[in-house]
Amino acid sequence: MNTLEIEGKNIDEAIEKACREFNVPREKMNIEILSEGSKGFLGLVGTKKARIKASLLSLDVALEKDFEPPREIKEAAPARKVVEPKKTSAAAIEPGENAAGEAKELLQGILSRMGLKFPVSVEETAEAITLNIKGDGSGLLIGKGGQTLDAIQYILNKAVGKSGRDKRMIVLDTEEYRDRRDEYLIALAAKLGGKVKKTKKPLTINHMSARDRRVIHLALKSDEALTTRSRGEGAYRKIIILPSKKE
Amino acid sequence: MKDLIKYIAQALVDNPDIVEVSEVLGEQTSVIELRVAKEDLGKVIGKGGKTAKAMRTILSAASAKVRKRAVLEIIE
Repeated sequence: MNTLEIEGKNIDEAIEKACREFNVPREKMNIEILSEGSKGFLGLVGTKKARIKASLLSLDVALEKDFEPPREIKEAAPARKVVEPKKTSAAAIEPGENAAGEAKELLQGILSRMGLKFPVSVEETAEAITLNIKGDGSGLLIGKGGQTLDAIQYILNKAVGKSGRDKRMIVLDTEEYRDRRDEYLIALAAKLGGKVKKTKKPLTINHMSARDRRVIHLALKSDEALTTRSRGEGAYRKIIILPSKKE
Repeated sequence: MKDLIKYIAQALVDNPDIVEVSEVLGEQTSVIELRVAKEDLGKVIGKGGKTAKAMRTILSAASAKVRKRAVLEIIE
């Protein structure tokens, strides 16, 4: 089984390169993060590249060609001029379907006005409505640290949630970004956790979104030797990993 | 760009008919001005400007695609 070591500006980029190298989707690879890379000082001094070790999970998938998402162009959602608060006879409403449909339509409306005609699929569970955008791999929809994806998700939650019928959260995903991000954060948590244990000094991670912080908290929750805390306000809330008081 | 902001704003407010968007085109940067009903102002700004920030993020992603810049101004 061949294993490759790949460098990139950051982990996401390195993983993307690996995908291209092997011509398989992300989930069919085994990825080990060797170093995380850093922007250094002002992006000038001490920049380090991210390094990963990638190998295929099993041989039989090596030649699968389904990696490149088909660039099918779906017809744009019918332009909806006005999103009227639907005051239908409340009894007849199946809350689930309505919110999901509304969210999907709204998302397609936003995408088509951004000049992106990507197909959207919907998945519903008791807790969440997940909308998956089949992107072209450009990352435009994701943005730095997922900010574009999060912004659209936030708008969708606001717009659909204002009618107050369906309390479920709307989750937006594209190109398995959420899973990839979780994987990266869990690896980051493990690495920094190890460092804290060794040095017995607290470490702070730069500010990140509530969702990202939650992943870090959960990743280190089971570790008795570590405590995690958040500090700061709003968008600048940071996470701190500290050694537990009792040894 | 104008349509995008109008569409998003209309989805957020209670009075979609009163949403008005105009665009001041510049060579590189265009300014998009958003006007909504007084009682909807809070809806497009959001807690601590969170909704406005989300709209701006989406706007920059959309304008990055066409290699331009756009800024969003919410007019009281």
